[in-house]
Amino acid sequence: MPLDTSTYALAHLRLDGRRWNELRRLHASLSVQSSSDGSAYLEQGNTKILATVSGPQEPVRRTGRDGSSEAKIEVEVNVTPFSGTDRKRRAKGEKRVQELQLTVARAFQGVVLGHLYPHSVVEVRLHVLSQDGSLLAACLNAATLALIDAGIPMTDYIAACTVASSPSSDQSIDDSDPLLDLNGLEEQELPFLSIATSGEEGKVCVLMMETKVQMARLEAMVSVGLDGCGQIRGILDEVVRQHGKRVLEAKVG
Amino acid sequence: MTSLKRSHASTAPTTTLSSKTYLRTLKSGKVQKIVRELYLRQDIPCSSQLCTACLDLAPPSFHRKTEPFVLSATPAATKQYPQGHYLVPDTNAFLSAMDLFETEGAAFQDVIVLQTVLEEVKNRSLPLYNRLIALTKNEGKRFYVFFNDFRLETYVQRDAGETINDRNDRAVRKACAWYAEHLRQAVTARQSARYPAVIMISNDKDSLRKANAEDIEASNLESYVKGLPDADRLLDMVASSREQRLARETKAETLYPEYLSMSAMLTGVKNGTLHQGIFNVSPYNYLEGTVHVPAFDRALIVQGRENSNRAVSGDIVVIEVLPKDQWKAPSSKVIEEEDLGKNENAEVDEDSSEAIVTERERRALQEEVRRAHGQVAEGKKQPTAKVVGIIKRNWRQYVGHVDKDSVRTRTKDSRAQQTVFLVPMDKRIPKIRVRTRQAAGLLGQRVLVTIDTWDRESRYPVGHFIRSLGELETKGAETEALLLEWDVQYRPFPRTVLDCLPPEGHEWEVPKSVDDPGWTGRRDLTDLLICSIDPPGCVDIDDALHARLLPNGNFEVGVHIADVSHFVKPNNAMDKEASLRGTTVYLVDKRIDMLPMLLGTDLCSLKPYIERYAFSVIWELDKNADIVSSTFTKSVIRSREAFSYEAAQLRIDDKSQQDDLTKGMRHLMMLSKRLRAKRMAAGALNLASPEVRVQTESETSDPVDVQTKQLLDTNQLVEEFMLLANISVASKIYEAFPQTALLRRHAAPPKTNFEELGNQLKVKKGMELHTDSSKAVADSLDKCVDQSEPFFNTLVRILATRCMMSAEYFCSGTQAPSEFRHYGLASEIYTHFTSPIRRYADLEAHRQLAAAIDYEPLDASLQSKSKIEAVCKNINVRHRNAQMAGRASVEYYVGQALKGRVLEEDGFIMRIFSNGFVVFVPRFGIEGLIRLRDLPEEVGREQDSVFDSEDYSLTLRGGKVERKVELFQKVTVKISDEAEESTGKRKIKLQLTK
Repeated sequence: MPLDTSTYALAHLRLDGRRWNELRRLHASLSVQSSSDGSAYLEQGNTKILATVSGPQEPVRRTGRDGSSEAKIEVEVNVTPFSGTDRKRRAKGEKRVQELQLTVARAFQGVVLGHLYPHSVVEVRLHVLSQDGSLLAACLNAATLALIDAGIPMTDYIAACTVASSPSSDQSIDDSDPLLDLNGLEEQELPFLSIATSGEEGKVCVLMMETKVQMARLEAMVSVGLDGCGQIRGILDEVVRQHGKRVLEAKVG
Repeated sequence: MTSLKRSHASTAPTTTLSSKTYLRTLKSGKVQKIVRELYLRQDIPCSSQLCTACLDLAPPSFHRKTEPFVLSATPAATKQYPQGHYLVPDTNAFLSAMDLFETEGAAFQDVIVLQTVLEEVKNRSLPLYNRLIALTKNEGKRFYVFFNDFRLETYVQRDAGETINDRNDRAVRKACAWYAEHLRQAVTARQSARYPAVIMISNDKDSLRKANAEDIEASNLESYVKGLPDADRLLDMVASSREQRLARETKAETLYPEYLSMSAMLTGVKNGTLHQGIFNVSPYNYLEGTVHVPAFDRALIVQGRENSNRAVSGDIVVIEVLPKDQWKAPSSKVIEEEDLGKNENAEVDEDSSEAIVTERERRALQEEVRRAHGQVAEGKKQPTAKVVGIIKRNWRQYVGHVDKDSVRTRTKDSRAQQTVFLVPMDKRIPKIRVRTRQAAGLLGQRVLVTIDTWDRESRYPVGHFIRSLGELETKGAETEALLLEWDVQYRPFPRTVLDCLPPEGHEWEVPKSVDDPGWTGRRDLTDLLICSIDPPGCVDIDDALHARLLPNGNFEVGVHIADVSHFVKPNNAMDKEASLRGTTVYLVDKRIDMLPMLLGTDLCSLKPYIERYAFSVIWELDKNADIVSSTFTKSVIRSREAFSYEAAQLRIDDKSQQDDLTKGMRHLMMLSKRLRAKRMAAGALNLASPEVRVQTESETSDPVDVQTKQLLDTNQLVEEFMLLANISVASKIYEAFPQTALLRRHAAPPKTNFEELGNQLKVKKGMELHTDSSKAVADSLDKCVDQSEPFFNTLVRILATRCMMSAEYFCSGTQAPSEFRHYGLASEIYTHFTSPIRRYADLEAHRQLAAAIDYEPLDASLQSKSKIEAVCKNINVRHRNAQMAGRASVEYYVGQALKGRVLEEDGFIMRIFSNGFVVFVPRFGIEGLIRLRDLPEEVGREQDSVFDSEDYSLTLRGGKVERKVELFQKVTVKISDEAEESTGKRKIKLQLTK
């Protein structure tokens, strides 16, 4: 029985040795798969995601009299059977996966300049290679990078992270710290929310919470989350700029 | 195609990344591979007040706070380490000697608990882990948890082929080495030369040797303790190590059968061949236990040491039913351990093997069997079982005394270690074998011990001393002993709890201005003529009453309860403490409060003549005491008078008093009689329990006399209205919170409970006991009257009470509404609302009622079914323990009151065995066992007596004439006192005179 989150209060150290406001190591690269229009590989701790984008393209199946003047974002999440600790095959239409797809699609519908490509679709495929918490956030981050790699015009990055509320050490004083960027174990034990923002001003475009948390703690959690999204945006931006630089150098050189 | 090379570049300069991979086997047999990240860092402080470098680097929490440093700058010095020292114990040190680390006083302070060790302790034993965590929170002990596996310098990677244990030992050594070096640097920075030693405590020889090689200060636990003052006392608190036990194992032969494996037990229980239940030992016969299992109505019997196979009363065991030819009748004989095991030598099974069942025990059992066989015709044999495994030990700390016969050397200054027997106060617990160096000093003392193990080779469990409570029979020691025995939390309230009290202290008063937030939602009831009626000398006044005649001829009656929930807010330290204590415990000379004195006896207490916050239940009752309407409100009241029961009775009876207050009380009296009559008609039981009051001398609180409690009409007056309030509140909170209301139920007793009593009454008195409903029981109890003996009815009621189930608190969502019934009170629904000062359940009910009337929102903890259930579970246990402790206290004081006196009193025989009988003496509310061998004329002729279990009689042939003793018979007994050998208690000794 390894230690659990209840020991956080002893030294303000989390299960993996991080402090409350530390992100996990975030590593990402662009254009990792040349057969697609855009792709990205992202590691947020041990959560690993490969994202590919194809489009904008004509819809494969015309659904009725499709008069839409905007490009449609279609998201498919593929949780690989080997991604978790238990090897298990997931049914295609599983509710959780569907919800994940829908959340990601809705979020990008808001930032992609779809009116430039009427009557077309942009397909985003997210392959979850390894899971260790903050799945939705990692999916959003990976999708952002892949869309940028595909050259889809967007108003800004979507950067996402998770925040939990740590158990407080003393019931009389609520001294619980919000914890940023959860790993799988923390996610199982603590109440948490996923938050995503777009733009430098930090406009919230996704906020999802499925667990119960004390009302009074929510504000601190959201503010730490916003800060975390800002940090992630910085890292993603750096990844994109580095990649751009390399591409340019290759062209010029 | 780009290659995806993983970069290990760190994200921040102070952290580096590592990962931890391990395999885990699940219950299903599946193996999982788990990979975890590990962020190694350098900002984990050493937490020594000597170090300034760490102070700067400890990062703040979200609330901008940093933890204060724990380890003292001037830690305690010993002979070996004159410069002071910090301790770094390894896992085994904690596992074997947690009691030692918990000792109060100067020893074992400034301890560094390594993360590696904490994790290992958690793996090995969850209770010990919890105790260790509690220690780290205890400010006085200065325990610091150092997360060595997260600190870059102390992190240790497991080498290929290295076992986990070796890796952990290495981690401990590395942390010690780092600490020593770190402190040296810290001290040099301060330009001082003295820095504390960092001592690794380990019993692992290999690790100690390596530590020496690496120049790390290390010591094994024993030699470290030897260097401390008071070493003898401390050494006894170390559980004997495994090596010592193993060494013995090779020599001794096994005495008990081996337990089945956990999986075998679980499969057995699942498919019905084995049964699981709690092992209960009979208080009259230590060799006989019963286990109640869900599969059968009646409990199964477990007889003899071999069959009970190392189970201790209270353990959760798995049993197997024996073949029918081994079934036995429940013992009709009193067997006490002291009679049979007197001459055993505690040291004995170290050198020679012994049988589990001694010759004398075997003889006693044979006799049992013979008797059982002699009565085969009656088919009294019952299903008998044997213990095949233990699911969960329920060992706690036991209070007892050292068996003086087991002590070898009596000289005080002998420091030789010897093994002695400790005889627990609880007769159902076997003797505990304890190794000690202070045996002579502990003779005649009340001591606290704990059981460590019970190996197959050992006839008795092995334990170790924790501490001595003081001399036997001194008030302090005995009171503490019974508090410990019943697990009553009696330490003074910690500072965090006292901090929750209102800052004004005794100066607090109801705010004058009605605009004050304290007044919002409160009704001003200060005009009402309210009074309280309580036992004389009561200081925590929970309840007050009023009644007045309404113009329409009905009555307005109010019950006003102290508004404790105003002062005790959910989830603060005070609330936590109160919920742990669960109830106030009343001993004869002492009260152990649930809430701090300031609240209990002053701010909450509805004292007369001053304004107090209250929670009021106000009814309109018609002339027949039927409820027309009821309202609940928070209020402010001013009690006009605090009466004792006697004073109230006098005032009501005094015709000359015609003021409104007295009139109100007369209305109350009239209505309460109607209520009572209605309740009785509905089938409420009027039960009896032997209650006595010990009169004590006011200054020394030495007992002077014993009296049975007197009941006046005013007692019943208060009781009736409290019941009415409880019932009204119960329906209200159930209506508001159908899933989470905290209620109280009393289940109908199963018919089998009454079988024995019914049969006894039929055989001896020709009376019938109907048990179909509570009404039937009440009616037939009323008919059990012996014209010549007025007390007989009470005796039957006492016996009937013992057949009942005990009432319990529960969460409404966990039971079907039909199960809510309170059998004894014949009410469909019931809760406790009227004593929030002394019962936690009432406090919770107050909060729920306050939310139900929209006074304040309900706290989250009261909305969760699981949390309420946990609270109920705890308060049920606490309630029971408090009763037991109270009874034990009365028993002790009755003993003291009778000390040195010899009296003759009437008594009644309430239980009969083949070799003795139990006599109840109503005058003192005591019951005592008279054994045949204690009767002078019977000595040596016990075998001649004839026990007729059908007729519940025993014919004694020892005297010149035959003498028959039978159940319910009135006898005269001589009462004297004696210090009981087996439990060390002063007890009443009864002798038959007539």
